Amino acid sequence: MKILVITPKIENSINTNLLHVFDAVTQLSGKCDVLVLGYQLDDLANQIAKYKVVTQVLKLDNVALEHILVENIAKQIAEITKKYTHVLVAADSFGKNLLPRVAGILELGQISEVSKIISPNIYQKFIYAGNVLIEVESVEDIKLLTIRTSNFMENTQLSETSALITTIEYTNAISDKIKFVTNKVEEKAVDLSSAKVVVTGGRSLGSADAFDSHIRALAKHLSAGVGATRAAVEAGYVHNDCQVGQTGKVVAPNVYLAFGVSGAVQHIAGMKDSRTVIAVNIDQTAPIFEHANYGMVADLFEVIPQLLHALHK
Amino acid sequence: MRILVGAKRVVDANVKVRVKADNSNVDIEHSKMSLNPFDENAIEEASKLKEAGIATEIIAVSIGNAKCIDTLRTALARGCDRAILVETNEVIEPLFVAKIFKEIVLKEKPDLILLGKQAIDDDANQVGQMLAGMLDYPQSTFISSLEIIDGKIRTVREIDNGTETLEVTLPAVLTADLYLNEPRFIKLPQLMLAKKKIIETIQLTDLNIEQRPTTRLLKAVDGEIKKKCTFIDSVDELVDILKVNKVI
Ligand SMILES: Cc1cc2nc3c(=O)[nH]c(=O)nc-3n(C[C@H](O)[C@H](O)[C@H](O)COP(=O)(O)OP(=O)(O)OC[C@H]3O[C@@H](n4cnc5c(N)ncnc54)[C@H](O)[C@@H]3O)c2cc1C
Ligand SMILES: Nc1ncnc2c1ncn2[C@@H]1O[C@H](COP(=O)(O)O)[C@@H](O)[C@H]1O
Repeated sequence: MKILVITPKIENSINTNLLHVFDAVTQLSGKCDVLVLGYQLDDLANQIAKYKVVTQVLKLDNVALEHILVENIAKQIAEITKKYTHVLVAADSFGKNLLPRVAGILELGQISEVSKIISPNIYQKFIYAGNVLIEVESVEDIKLLTIRTSNFMENTQLSETSALITTIEYTNAISDKIKFVTNKVEEKAVDLSSAKVVVTGGRSLGSADAFDSHIRALAKHLSAGVGATRAAVEAGYVHNDCQVGQTGKVVAPNVYLAFGVSGAVQHIAGMKDSRTVIAVNIDQTAPIFEHANYGMVADLFEVIPQLLHALHK
Repeated sequence: MRILVGAKRVVDANVKVRVKADNSNVDIEHSKMSLNPFDENAIEEASKLKEAGIATEIIAVSIGNAKCIDTLRTALARGCDRAILVETNEVIEPLFVAKIFKEIVLKEKPDLILLGKQAIDDDANQVGQMLAGMLDYPQSTFISSLEIIDGKIRTVREIDNGTETLEVTLPAVLTADLYLNEPRFIKLPQLMLAKKKIIETIQLTDLNIEQRPTTRLLKAVDGEIKKKCTFIDSVDELVDILKVNKVI
């Protein structure tokens, strides 16, 4: 078994998603090479080399990868992939965009959002918005897997010696068919995907102002990530990257607080692995209570101000 | 501009899917089926481009059994001009869906391929990217807006911490996020009109595609875990729970 993990440089520090993928590596066999992509990677490569699961860091450092476009990297990755039995990447917007393209180039099947490793070729994953959990065996020579990070722990074990860092020459042609124009980063106090506590609001907040003065205010107090239902995002209270669910982010914090969330299957799909769920909903028959450890049948516009008041004391 | 769109027939989003008693697979034989919601967004966007005079023809493709004809009728009512059914009774994995699309692209030569970002049954989120890789086309996935500037397509993609704007040169593959648009409500006249449009049926076996399974389904179990909810009445109790769980 030879495992490759792919990670992009997003900031100059380790992306926590990578630490969750390391846990999947541990479940598989224990060791991996890490291919890090981007521009000016020396610092980051050194940090990655310190982790115990890492045997080698492959550094693909080029100015063409300052903003990574898959068109400029997928073919070369496909070539690198051929030396491995398993290629793992976090099922985040980077991994989901890249790995299927690599699979298409190699004409190999790919398995998305693996939630548990059963054996080197058998994995667990959800389908149908989390309604169904399957065990699936890959019969491909190279297993291409995206990892649902919320179902794996952070593996932060460091080694006493640093792993070897190898520079790989950038050989992929640069595509003239695609151009990076700009990006817009939504500033966040706490990253939703890795937050230990998440405060989520739904449609019933009624406005962006109310969302801010209730959900965001409470999240700030609890140093929590801010989540939202699709209905809240569609109503324009909050940006899409806060959406939790089948088609948004999947989170598994220690504590998930849901205010005015009905509990549609598509929402539950994104939060059901949270350890403790607390739901506040005015309707006692709301499905969210079937997925909550603690429930409060109450008006969120009364509960949140009282809670903020109590926290201020 | 000619646009090819995907139209997958999937179990309706409001159906709670259950597994078979022997845990061999899902039990969807009698489930209500619909056009994949993300494909509705893709088709809506294509229709808007046609109304704006930018697109000249929209071709919908569905791969699956004969009942996909219903799904294609919906796609035609939503503004597609004609449709292709690639008929098969087998379940087709994303890799082979992409290969089939590739064959159709080579035949129809569309300028733009607009698919959904994911099918809500397998939740794979793979076909668009695979197809772009196979064709060596540029891709812009999970898009929430699209604009034509000087013959190029400027797209805004939804990514983990915000958005990314990319400019793609045609031919290209795009995949739609739910935020791309609000699919219109279809009315009777459109449904009537759709009946007159042409649906071409191709047998999968007539396409020169070698199929092999890349995965084996070993077991399917109910993924829904219900919790036992303890109801509380006061904010004080809520504060205590937060304390016990070390939130505060
Ligand atoms: C293909 C597809 C994908 C989807 N993906 C997602 C996804 O990823 N994430 C997601 O969240 N949804 C998703 N959805 C939408 C999902 O089906 C639901 O429509 C959505 O989750 C509902 O959001 P909500 O709970 O905020 O709103 P509603 O369902 O309208 O519920 C509002 C709730 O607030 C309660 N309430 C009202 N006033 C108060 C008050 N004052 N105090 C307390 N409670 C109050 C009500 O009792 C009700 O339960 C998807 C749907 C489709 C079709
Ligand atoms: N059987 C199919 N028929 C038509 N289009 C499909 C089919 N399977 C997948 N697609 C297209 O590919 C997109 C992504 O699907 P997936 O990668 O399976 O999540 C869908 O939104 C459709 O546009």
